[in-house]
Amino acid sequence: MAKRKVVLKGIIASPGRAQGRVRIVRSHKDLLKAGKKDIIVASFLLPDVCLAFRNNSRVAGIVTEKGGSTCHIAILAREFNIPYLAGARTATRRLRNNDLICLDAEQGVVYEI
Amino acid sequence: MKFDKLPKIRSLKRLEKYGLPIPQTLFIFNFDKQEKEIDEFLKGKKEVSIRSDKTDDSQFCPSIPRCPAGKAKSLCEKISKQGYVVILHEYFPLKKGRIACGHILTLKEHIVFELVDRGAVSRLDREGEVREIVRLRKKDLAETEHFGKRTAKRSALKKVALLVKNVPCFKILDFTLMENGPYFYQIQDDKTASRLS
Repeated sequence: MAKRKVVLKGIIASPGRAQGRVRIVRSHKDLLKAGKKDIIVASFLLPDVCLAFRNNSRVAGIVTEKGGSTCHIAILAREFNIPYLAGARTATRRLRNNDLICLDAEQGVVYEI
Repeated sequence: MKFDKLPKIRSLKRLEKYGLPIPQTLFIFNFDKQEKEIDEFLKGKKEVSIRSDKTDDSQFCPSIPRCPAGKAKSLCEKISKQGYVVILHEYFPLKKGRIACGHILTLKEHIVFELVDRGAVSRLDREGEVREIVRLRKKDLAETEHFGKRTAKRSALKKVALLVKNVPCFKILDFTLMENGPYFYQIQDDKTASRLS
């Protein structure tokens, strides 16, 4: 099997694995555009944004540049079994909308597919 | 007065139960009856922190993180008359004498520190600012993981870890590390943390 390229490293805030297309979220509006099984990539997310996850069950995974395993969003992600990688500092710069990625929140990395 | 339905007060009582230091605190249940106690508390203090608590599930409770002692009494009266229990804390400056603040997560075999350096701990929750993450093994307090820039000396963090070592697992504690030691403000249950090894 070809070795996959690690594009980001971070803190495991909610363990799990997910594969999907990147959806950069800068506002609540961006979140509404997220398609099924997208991986949300943002600078940081507040819990009110997370409620949208529960309502539309659209999110395959979350990657944020800030935050850690004790933030509200991390607790919510664990509650909803959504893999979440926090502290991936350059995520919104390194990734672009529609990039196909594999989020490995067991190892704390994001692979390019 | 039962504390069960007052989440912040219950939390402070739990911290005391675990032997963790909390800032000097006065709970004001009845302003008129406790006026003397309030005067005594404010004596010699330039500033205080005011928080409040309520028995119903109200999401908003007034708080004034930094309040001049001269204005504190009238504000306490105002908040108390609105039906809240007032929590009066001694004030710790955000910069002077503060080394770090943040959250501590207790896991089965590890203790995780997520720290912002100086400033308010709310930066962690509201802005996701995490300056440093340190994971210590409970058994021997050896550092097993480190992320970010060092904010506090290892020895200082290990002293804090020793204090929280016996706190049951899957709890999140809010704390401030001052030059004279740590102070804890809140403890919450986080059952979802069992998913983190």
